[in-house]
Amino acid sequence: MKGFKYYKPQSLKEASELLKEYNGEAHILNGGTDLIIRMKENFLHPKAVVDIKHIPGLHAITFDKEDGLRIGACLSLGTIAHHRDVVENFPIIADSAEVVGSGQIRNRATLVGNICNASPLADTATPLLALDAEVIIYSPNGTKLISIHHFFKGVRKNCLNVGEIVTGIKIPYSKNLKGAFKKGSRRQDVDLSTVCTSVVKINDEIRIALGAVAPTPIRGKMAEAFAKGKNLTHETITEIAKIAVAEASPIDDVRSSKEYRLHMVEVLVTRSLEELKV
Amino acid sequence: MKYVGKSVTRVDGIKKVTGDLKYVDDLKMPGMLYAAVKRSPYPHAKIININIEEAIKLPGVKVVTTGKDFPKRVGLYLADKTFMAVDKVRYRGEAVAAVAAETKEIAEEAISLIKVDYEELPIVSNVLDAIKEDAPLIHPNLGEYKHAPIFHTLPGTNISEHFKLRKGDVELAFEQADFILESEFYVPHIQHCPIENHSAIAQFDREGRLTVWASCQSPYAVRAALADAFKIPSHKLRVISPSVGGGFGAKAGTTLEGIIIPLAMKTKGRPVKLTYSREDEFNNSYVRQAMYATFKTGVMKDGKIVALKSNFIWDGGAYTEYGVNIAKSAGFAAAGPYDVENIHCDSYAVYTNNPVGGPYRGFGMSEIHFGIEQNMDIISEKLKIDPIEIRKLNAHKPGGRTATNALVDDACGLIDCINKVINDIEYHKPSQQPKEDYKVRAKGFACGMKAPSMPNNAASSAIIRINEDGSAYLSVSAQDIGQGSDTALTQIAAEILTIPPENISINTGDTAHNPYEWQTVASRITYSAGNAIIKACEDIKEQLFHLASIKLGIFPRDLQLEEGFVRSSIYPNKRIPIKDLALGLSMEDGSAVHGPLIGRGTFIPENIRNFDMDTGLADNPVVFWTYGCYGVEIEIDTQTGNIKVLKVASCFDVGKAINPDLVKAQCEGAIVQGIGSAIFEEIIMQNGRFMNPSFMDYKIPTANDIPEMLVSYVENRQKDGPFGARGMAEPAMIPAAPAIASAFYNATGIRVKELPLTPERVVKALKNHKILNKK
Repeated sequence: MKGFKYYKPQSLKEASELLKEYNGEAHILNGGTDLIIRMKENFLHPKAVVDIKHIPGLHAITFDKEDGLRIGACLSLGTIAHHRDVVENFPIIADSAEVVGSGQIRNRATLVGNICNASPLADTATPLLALDAEVIIYSPNGTKLISIHHFFKGVRKNCLNVGEIVTGIKIPYSKNLKGAFKKGSRRQDVDLSTVCTSVVKINDEIRIALGAVAPTPIRGKMAEAFAKGKNLTHETITEIAKIAVAEASPIDDVRSSKEYRLHMVEVLVTRSLEELKV
Repeated sequence: MKYVGKSVTRVDGIKKVTGDLKYVDDLKMPGMLYAAVKRSPYPHAKIININIEEAIKLPGVKVVTTGKDFPKRVGLYLADKTFMAVDKVRYRGEAVAAVAAETKEIAEEAISLIKVDYEELPIVSNVLDAIKEDAPLIHPNLGEYKHAPIFHTLPGTNISEHFKLRKGDVELAFEQADFILESEFYVPHIQHCPIENHSAIAQFDREGRLTVWASCQSPYAVRAALADAFKIPSHKLRVISPSVGGGFGAKAGTTLEGIIIPLAMKTKGRPVKLTYSREDEFNNSYVRQAMYATFKTGVMKDGKIVALKSNFIWDGGAYTEYGVNIAKSAGFAAAGPYDVENIHCDSYAVYTNNPVGGPYRGFGMSEIHFGIEQNMDIISEKLKIDPIEIRKLNAHKPGGRTATNALVDDACGLIDCINKVINDIEYHKPSQQPKEDYKVRAKGFACGMKAPSMPNNAASSAIIRINEDGSAYLSVSAQDIGQGSDTALTQIAAEILTIPPENISINTGDTAHNPYEWQTVASRITYSAGNAIIKACEDIKEQLFHLASIKLGIFPRDLQLEEGFVRSSIYPNKRIPIKDLALGLSMEDGSAVHGPLIGRGTFIPENIRNFDMDTGLADNPVVFWTYGCYGVEIEIDTQTGNIKVLKVASCFDVGKAINPDLVKAQCEGAIVQGIGSAIFEEIIMQNGRFMNPSFMDYKIPTANDIPEMLVSYVENRQKDGPFGARGMAEPAMIPAAPAIASAFYNATGIRVKELPLTPERVVKALKNHKILNKK
């Protein structure tokens, strides 16, 4: 690892100014589980890291039915996976947070970090996509909300400008929410998703989000449109899964062939819908 | 017995769990320099030029070396390697230059400043291509390489060892057989993945004495290899192995030591350290060789196998200094634990431009048994004979013959092991199927056997010193690499000396202070070092009895040791504590005799003889065979392809369990490692490039993958083993992969020819057989 400067700002403003001062050559440090490894393996050489964990107000989780769920940027995945408000109202988020890395990783890593890292296979991205979450961003011009659908720009690319900091995630509440998170991996624990899916049912609406099948996590809009209002019979489910497969465009890599990923989209979406129909 | 056969707590337990034990990478020395290595980006290329000028100018850089500094070829069984490439590189990642600098960062920066010009050569990425007549030669000078006389190289080809086994007349037997079956199998490269990466430090003093601290299994073998390579007298070369965080064979030879010694020669006494990253560990230590196997089997209607013709083609990678012996070991175990009268086996070690193959727990046996055991299942199915019965019919039994035509020892307990495992796993009771219709469960079974593969003169020695208070120091060079040898060996000494294990300190891992041990490999330490310790203890005993005889006026023959005393066997109250004799015997007039008690013991296996070079036959080629088997139950998710191993029953004939808990721990570790090799582990090679050199994409089992384990053993005494013990650590893994493949077949009707059974491979197999969508 090359040398770098370490900053521990006490406010978002201070952090943002530091980031701007380094004009793209400083990196935010949150849980550090992605950043430190990428620095150690010489993929990244930031001149400075800006540790946001000491900024007040980023460690809160709040929930009410009007505002929905708000998850602060510095909350660990372990905390989120076991937080009562999450488990009771958004079990799909808890389920996805619980399968990232190992217990040790989940004690450090954050959900916001998982999102900002913008990996196409990020486990927590698909439920946020399926729930139409919003990303809360501090920017020098004031706080803004950006739909999760506009947040991912490509492999490891997000929409943040220099000086902007994600302070949290906001997820709208629905009374009749049912959801299923599924992960296909080579090994059950401590593995990356070969494919991951989140399928959500809110009243007669079905939403399907797919991970590791495109440069960013995606929604299966055509499959959703086909499913809307339909009775989830075995035949319908088979058809929905087939359409979702057609919407995926995975690659071959060392983890899996394209064919196996497509197969897994079909399996995981089918299983999710079978669960949700009851 | 008081200590042997008891589950004594590990003598190295506290220092390991507290972290007091220091590993090589924990060592920091004044003035220590850090090394980094320039590695080849090509799998096969000529080195045209190496420019180190910019690197040497970088502030903080002390030395830069290249392969030309030490071009001598070395190797354990075949001198085919140099520690850094000289004229050409033979695998991607081979060392071409090295730097020692004030910090690791400077060393790494200097590496990036070294410019190497290469001329790429055609690569040989597949072992089947490597044996073709027109294959590019990876070692054109093979004919000039020195090798142990028991090996048969084929200069002018990529074959560095051709072991032939010719027993009986296979062709005639095939003519007479009722059935002939043919099958083929492939096992990929895998890696040991010790939790501690390789690490070494080298330091010269002004008299030219070299000290090497290395995480290694075999300090004496490392000393011998380095003394030979660098022309350093043995008495001036001290190898210290302070502790080893897992070996599994990866740390049996020499790897990175040879890179830092040339650097340390030029640093004026400053120590130089190199610690491998995990990526280095994958790429640049040893890997388990990939292997193609073919079998042609002649069988009679009653299930008796009468002829076996097999080929084992080993992908030895760029250098086969160690791999040649794996090919040979496979050849002389050609039929596995089965008694076959006519055998024709060819086993080849073959060069490719893949990572360097080397010893890995099992030393070839896991690989060949993957085929041998599935072949048994194929025969059983064809003949409609129960797979257990057909194994029992053909199994090695006392009085039978091994593949080399040696007599099977009276102590062969394979049938006992089979009966135990079949009972434990309830093999003949069908699995209870899970409620999900896409999941299926089934059971499988496989046997295995292994002998230590080592030179006939592989020796051990031990020194015991009795302290003034009656406690003892036990000095050996057997290395505790996690297997628990420190504890088992201490128990053996305790038993004979009647000194409790807590009053004995074992010292290992330093060639300057502890006596010779060939290597900590081959599951031979309890057997071989154990025997040396028994002799050292007997030596102490003789000295004690001599002195006590003078003191007590009792014939030595009427003396015995008991609880730290020498006492009369006839008059129990006539006794003297060992401690009173520790420094010799003081007489009533104040004079003294003898001096401190030092016991010495050496051991070399008796009467182990070479194989016949033409036929591979031998009447006593190995010290023992260890037999055993696995019964497993697995669950397959037929949609995702994920396999969960639910239950494993294993049983091995260990001769005598010196420490039952440690034997069980070895068996459990073996099961987990075996599961890894069966369903997760595979080095993915693409045109000479290692595609998954990290735990992100090379998966080993986690705690959650550990099944219910029913571990047992039987004890048919090893005739020359300490208290009857024989080696069991490697054998305990061998049947894992074929047993799981057998269960997979029983669940799906699909015979797996290739490992590992990854989800993707399972789904592909099920789709091909149209099994996937039957629900």
